[in-house]
Amino acid sequence: MPTEQEIFEKVRTTLVDALNVEEDEVTMKSRLRGDLNAESIDFLDIVFRLEKQFGVKIPREELFPESIFQGDPHFVTDGKVNAEGLKELQERMPFADLSEFAKDSRLEKMEDLFTVELIVKYLQRKLGS
Amino acid sequence: MSLKDQVALVTGGSRGIGRAIVQALAREGAKVAFVYKGSQPAAEELQKEIAASGGTVKALQGDVSDPQTAATIVARVLADWGRVDILVNNAGVIRDGLFVRMDAANWKAVLDTNLDGTFYFCRAVAEQMALKQRSGRIINISSVAADHVNAGQANYAASKGAVNAFTRALAVELGSRNVTVNAVAPGFIETDMSEAVRNKAGDFIAKKLIPLRRLGKPEDIAGVVVFLAGTAGAYLTGQVLTVDGGLSLGAVTA
Repeated sequence: MPTEQEIFEKVRTTLVDALNVEEDEVTMKSRLRGDLNAESIDFLDIVFRLEKQFGVKIPREELFPESIFQGDPHFVTDGKVNAEGLKELQERMPFADLSEFAKDSRLEKMEDLFTVELIVKYLQRKLGS
Repeated sequence: MSLKDQVALVTGGSRGIGRAIVQALAREGAKVAFVYKGSQPAAEELQKEIAASGGTVKALQGDVSDPQTAATIVARVLADWGRVDILVNNAGVIRDGLFVRMDAANWKAVLDTNLDGTFYFCRAVAEQMALKQRSGRIINISSVAADHVNAGQANYAASKGAVNAFTRALAVELGSRNVTVNAVAPGFIETDMSEAVRNKAGDFIAKKLIPLRRLGKPEDIAGVVVFLAGTAGAYLTGQVLTVDGGLSLGAVTA
């Protein structure tokens, strides 16, 4: 099983190719949208490239469940992901650390969860199992 | 040979405008796969003709309105040639009739082929072009009838108007992946499809309503498709190019 550093290096290569960014811009903490300027289609592209790079199948919405709260008032109150929603999110993304997001769970903040580290953690689980 | 070794896929390729597009792309050096529905003799003849002049061509039977067809055909092209650089959605049908008598079957038949068929084929090449190749040219054959409407073509006008809107939407989504999406809107072209109207009013239309004083030929459209597919068309996306000899200007010649 590859180490975290090995996974990170391959993820970085993937992101450099997919997003046209410089290698030194990509750190574990980089946010895909906020820091690396990823657009919607880039997320598809990243998934597509990760599948090839790591030889795994990544089902839709498994790594980036961007739309799980779309039109579901059950999980969102006043534009914020509520306790129910956070629980759901943690179940869907057991590889994610939600502690920061829980402090300010406005829906539009959710994209900040999608970091390089998140991809690395996801792949660690995926490759470990 | 501006398109040497590029792979093109053309729907409705055996007759009319599609046939001229297949010929023009092949002449420019592209390997061309074309889809035909019922016109097998015409498809075989076209295949022979292009092969005889040294071109690479493949005729594939299929109904574009069937949701499965596009995926099957694109898979076949990718298996044989490894990529698809140019998609021309040309297959189209008419079921003309005044609206008060138009039944749902004639509405649906036109939308199924002209709009849904275009969607299926775009969808079938999108991942290949946008993610794998990061390049591609999609050219949808629309019609001047989308905006300059004739009586008896509510279904056809709706389908082509939708194709134009779809073309713009897709151009926005695929732009960052170097895939251009444009439409070509032919005016009055000499094909089997326009035969009925041509027989009735072709002369009048050519002489009175078309500034260039003649009906269009399929080659007039094919030339614009080659332009969009080639390097000259690289910075053009989301546009509907009207190719109608000036018909849509709406002038009556004096």
